Amino acid sequence: MRRIRLEPRGVPPIWLRLAFPLLALAGAGCAGALILLVTGFSPWSVYSSALDAAFGTQLAWQRSLVASSPLILTGLAAAVAFRARLWNIGGEGQLYIGAIAASGAALLIAKDLPPVLAMAVVLVAGALGGALWAGLAAVPRARFGTDEVIPTLMLNFIALYLMNYLIFGSVSFWRDKERLTYPTGRDIPDSAVAPEIWGRLHLGFLVAVVVTVALWILLRSTRWGYAVRLVGDSPRVAAYAGVGVSRRILSVLLLSGAVAGLAGAVQIFGTLGSLEPRSLAVNLGYTGIIVAAVARFNPLAVIPVAIAIGGISSAGPTLQTSGVPSELVLVLQGLALLVVAASEVLMRNRIRFATVPSTAAAG
Amino acid sequence: MNDSVVVLTLASAIVAGTPLALAAIGELLAQRAGVMNLGIEGMMLVGAVTGILGASATGSPWLGLAVGAGAGLCMSLIHATLAISLRVDQVVSGLALVILGAGLSSYIGKLPDPPLGDRAPVGRFEPVLSGGPADLPVVGPIVFGQDPIVYLAVLAAVAASVLLYRTRAGMAVRAVGESPATADAAGISVTRVRYGYTLLGGAMAGMGGAYVTLALSGTWQDGITAGAGWIAFALVPFASWRPLRCLLAAWTFGALTNLNFTLQLLEVKVPSDLLSMMPFVMTIVVLIFVSARPGASRLLAAPATLGQPYARETR
Amino acid sequence: MSESVVSSEPPVGSPRGDGDGVELQGIHKSFYGQLANEDVDLDLPWGEVHALLGENGAGKSTLCSVLAGLYRPDAGRILIDGVEHHFASPRDALDARIGMVYQHFRLVDTFTVAENVVLSHPETPAWIDRRQMESAVAALCERYGIHVDPAALVMNLSVGERQRVEILKLLHRGVHVLVLDEPTSVLTPAETTALFGAVRSLREEGKTIVFVSHRLEEVLSIADRVTVMRKGRRVGQVVAAETDGDQLVRMMVGEQVSAPVRGSGPASPGPVILGVKGLEVHNDLRQAAVRGLDLEVHAGEIVGIAGVAGNGQRELAEAIAGLRRAVAGSVSLNGQDATSLDVRGRVKSGLAFVPEDRLATGVAGGLPIEDNVIMRRFARAPIARGPFISRRAARKWTDELVERFDIRGVRPGLPMSLLSGGNVQRAILARELAEQPKLLVAAGPTRGLDVGATATIHRLLLSLRDEGAGVLLISEDLDELELLADRIAVIYAGRIMGEQTAGDFDHEAIGRMMAGVEAAA
Repeated sequence: MRRIRLEPRGVPPIWLRLAFPLLALAGAGCAGALILLVTGFSPWSVYSSALDAAFGTQLAWQRSLVASSPLILTGLAAAVAFRARLWNIGGEGQLYIGAIAASGAALLIAKDLPPVLAMAVVLVAGALGGALWAGLAAVPRARFGTDEVIPTLMLNFIALYLMNYLIFGSVSFWRDKERLTYPTGRDIPDSAVAPEIWGRLHLGFLVAVVVTVALWILLRSTRWGYAVRLVGDSPRVAAYAGVGVSRRILSVLLLSGAVAGLAGAVQIFGTLGSLEPRSLAVNLGYTGIIVAAVARFNPLAVIPVAIAIGGISSAGPTLQTSGVPSELVLVLQGLALLVVAASEVLMRNRIRFATVPSTAAAG
Repeated sequence: MNDSVVVLTLASAIVAGTPLALAAIGELLAQRAGVMNLGIEGMMLVGAVTGILGASATGSPWLGLAVGAGAGLCMSLIHATLAISLRVDQVVSGLALVILGAGLSSYIGKLPDPPLGDRAPVGRFEPVLSGGPADLPVVGPIVFGQDPIVYLAVLAAVAASVLLYRTRAGMAVRAVGESPATADAAGISVTRVRYGYTLLGGAMAGMGGAYVTLALSGTWQDGITAGAGWIAFALVPFASWRPLRCLLAAWTFGALTNLNFTLQLLEVKVPSDLLSMMPFVMTIVVLIFVSARPGASRLLAAPATLGQPYARETR
Repeated sequence: MSESVVSSEPPVGSPRGDGDGVELQGIHKSFYGQLANEDVDLDLPWGEVHALLGENGAGKSTLCSVLAGLYRPDAGRILIDGVEHHFASPRDALDARIGMVYQHFRLVDTFTVAENVVLSHPETPAWIDRRQMESAVAALCERYGIHVDPAALVMNLSVGERQRVEILKLLHRGVHVLVLDEPTSVLTPAETTALFGAVRSLREEGKTIVFVSHRLEEVLSIADRVTVMRKGRRVGQVVAAETDGDQLVRMMVGEQVSAPVRGSGPASPGPVILGVKGLEVHNDLRQAAVRGLDLEVHAGEIVGIAGVAGNGQRELAEAIAGLRRAVAGSVSLNGQDATSLDVRGRVKSGLAFVPEDRLATGVAGGLPIEDNVIMRRFARAPIARGPFISRRAARKWTDELVERFDIRGVRPGLPMSLLSGGNVQRAILARELAEQPKLLVAAGPTRGLDVGATATIHRLLLSLRDEGAGVLLISEDLDELELLADRIAVIYAGRIMGEQTAGDFDHEAIGRMMAGVEAAA
């Protein structure tokens, strides 16, 4: 009988740490290829056309970067929380509420403001909205220790129904009252719309990059970041070190929510221009969790991972034309998370195969 | 009288609660053994799509149900391998299952020609009894007029309860969840028990998903479970890890998910989006309420090693 | 389904009749490259109480775990009556009638005594009949004169009672060899006496008992023969009646380890550094754990807190450190009331704390040493620069402490939990002592450490005291307290039962107080 044993490895070698995200995505690709083969498609042609659609031309690059902007932010939101071992699975709902707040603020007050101020208002409103939504789960977590997994998740559904209600279920402030047969959101004023910086690529991408760098510094080199590391490793130890644990938990979750809310704002002022439930409810929050995991919760690594995953996602419709359901992208994402989770273990441990003598007992 | 709002509401609440009950009782058993599977929603979705596929291919809803259960089992095998053997964080592994399940189910739904979403409803489960007791006033439709899977869910709850408290096998499950080192020393294979109940939980979630398409809707559409898997997950702590309470809680939430239908009958006009929020709002409120009480964790009687991997040779 | 709850009668007298007992030959076992057992032999005839003696970390527990099938040896043989056996799991060992009572009990807290007892038995019927199960266990209690209520929930039992449940479990399985790993370390003297009575009656039945201990008197009073281990090897074997304490100590310790330098004579206590008055503290289950406790520690003295585990030591230490709220009473540090101060406030007033569970509270195990040694000064310059942390200053500070306190095995980025216990404890002490505390609260600071690391830590505690700081040393090891403390206060059920001063420590009186018997005034 052979038994598998895990032995802690200590510090993983640097090449492995660098190659990790790549290997994970490649692993997911292989598993996906298997699914394609079984369902009668050629993995080679599907993947090459997808990669072409994602990164083949300048326009494709622009589209991929646009698609990656919200993913960078939702990825950061997940990374910040998960680093403190807080499972904020509510990025999805926080993004919706961020989008509702951002579009609401734009419609309400941005009209007469100069563009810079108008955009700032939109972004701040989005962040506040996301933070508020995260707060609904964060306050009970910090106050009573209510596990955050289920509440953050349930709030996603509540946010989704709320957003649908505002556009499809009622004639609300957000809804374009002209169009009755095909309800959509009202367009935000031009002053609040993000300018384009490279072809179709808009300011939202820069916002995401700036937030990334800020969070990287915050987590790595500040006292707050240190305290969060302690809380993440063990709340007991953090308390021992004199860190106010519940305050830290609250601040991490609120920050995480704010960043996810910002993703909603970026979609509103850059990509969509109005509160558009069909285009917002496309799993950006959940995908952010995958981005964060593949990036091993390192903020800087979130950017390239988000671009890769965002690129593949934006290639989804192209797949559809060749007969492959675009949900292949979602399958690949799930596989990526599985591969990452499994290889995380391989990175931290060596695998030993121990041969065990079979149970022999005479007498 | 049997057409009255109350009777119809109760009868349909039980139907709506049945997939929740199946999935939640499976999860409950896995959690009693110490494994937390967050991926119910994913397993239910895959169960839902393969279930209806199986039923339309064979013409038998029973075979569809079996296919759904098998698909859920396969999904849970992934979780079991990662969580038990590789000791991956169970939250991450469960989430991966949800996303994979969502993707796979939509992918599978679009493969056949015509896609599953565009097909006519398949044959559903027939009520076990028609006429006779099923025509009794009030209790007829609620108690006797249901389809066989409703009774299967009741049976599952009772069986789980008997298993846990009246059998040696159940004692082993509880020991593995409470103190795997003790179970190990007692010669119980922690790994085998955890795998076994995780797989059983997966099969029951798959069955719950299949019931959604086979009995509730009759058709497939993307994301049809609409969060039922998450509610099932939340039901387990509500019910303090006790199967019979879990069944009652599932029916209660079945009533909540059916609010739209009920209020339509009562001709009360409330926006359906807002009503659809209700089960989720209730879940959060109850969770906060329960955890805010002093000594909450003891009160809940959560298995002591829930979500923690077990390794024997640690020093 | 009715009869088989109780195991078949174990044969009376020599269990196998013909053979000569159990033999371990050339056992090797290593963990992650660290050798725990090296070429160890052990022979255990039927009907013998055999003591395994050795310092912490000598490899006794590992050897026992190999015998009980928990660990598989890397090399070596296990023979029962001359026939070789391979144990892939504890169950195999149990099938061969060898069972072990572990230091950390293997009991399911939410089960009753009876459920725990029958859990491991292969003949327990598939359907459980509670009443019948309980009466069967009661019969077993009767037969061996071991007293516990079969229907009681284990979580409500005392430590001594839990140990009895463990022994019942093994007897129920009909074992012939009982391995008891440090069975007395958690018992009061009275409970120890009761245990010894049970051990003797088991020997009468022809069973073999392996008794692991590092306490000489116990070993000499209960064992027939003694095997001494040191650093994973077997040093020798003696007949208990033909040896004495001195010989055993020499075998255990080997070449002379530099004994801790006792402080320069009697303490010269200064002003009160720690004052505890009428302190009441709850445990995690909100039950009273410390109940009206008074205590004073002066500058320049070591005050020992003796007591059996679970009498409020942990809660007392955490309440002094500011990690647990005082329900009533007061704590003063350095003459100032500190009751309402938080952890950081207390550290500022000169408190240092070495918690008992060093990996769960003392260090962040997943973070590198750098993050661990700056815990007390990350909010101050030079490590803090405004809201930022200077990585360079942190690294410099780490290097300094590693050098000064001789912390070994450090590599950049290596998680703290992968250092050895001794080095983790050195790092904790380094961090705490570097702040030049006026009061050190140390809970079980040498638990589980090898002789060398223990000596280092004893030296550090004594030199701190000689420099004029107060030390509150909480330990279950009475020998350690008698070696180091200037005063010993005994804690029982959350109160101080009495106190003794260095020079007139009365071992027996302390033992009585630990058992809750009031000391004569």
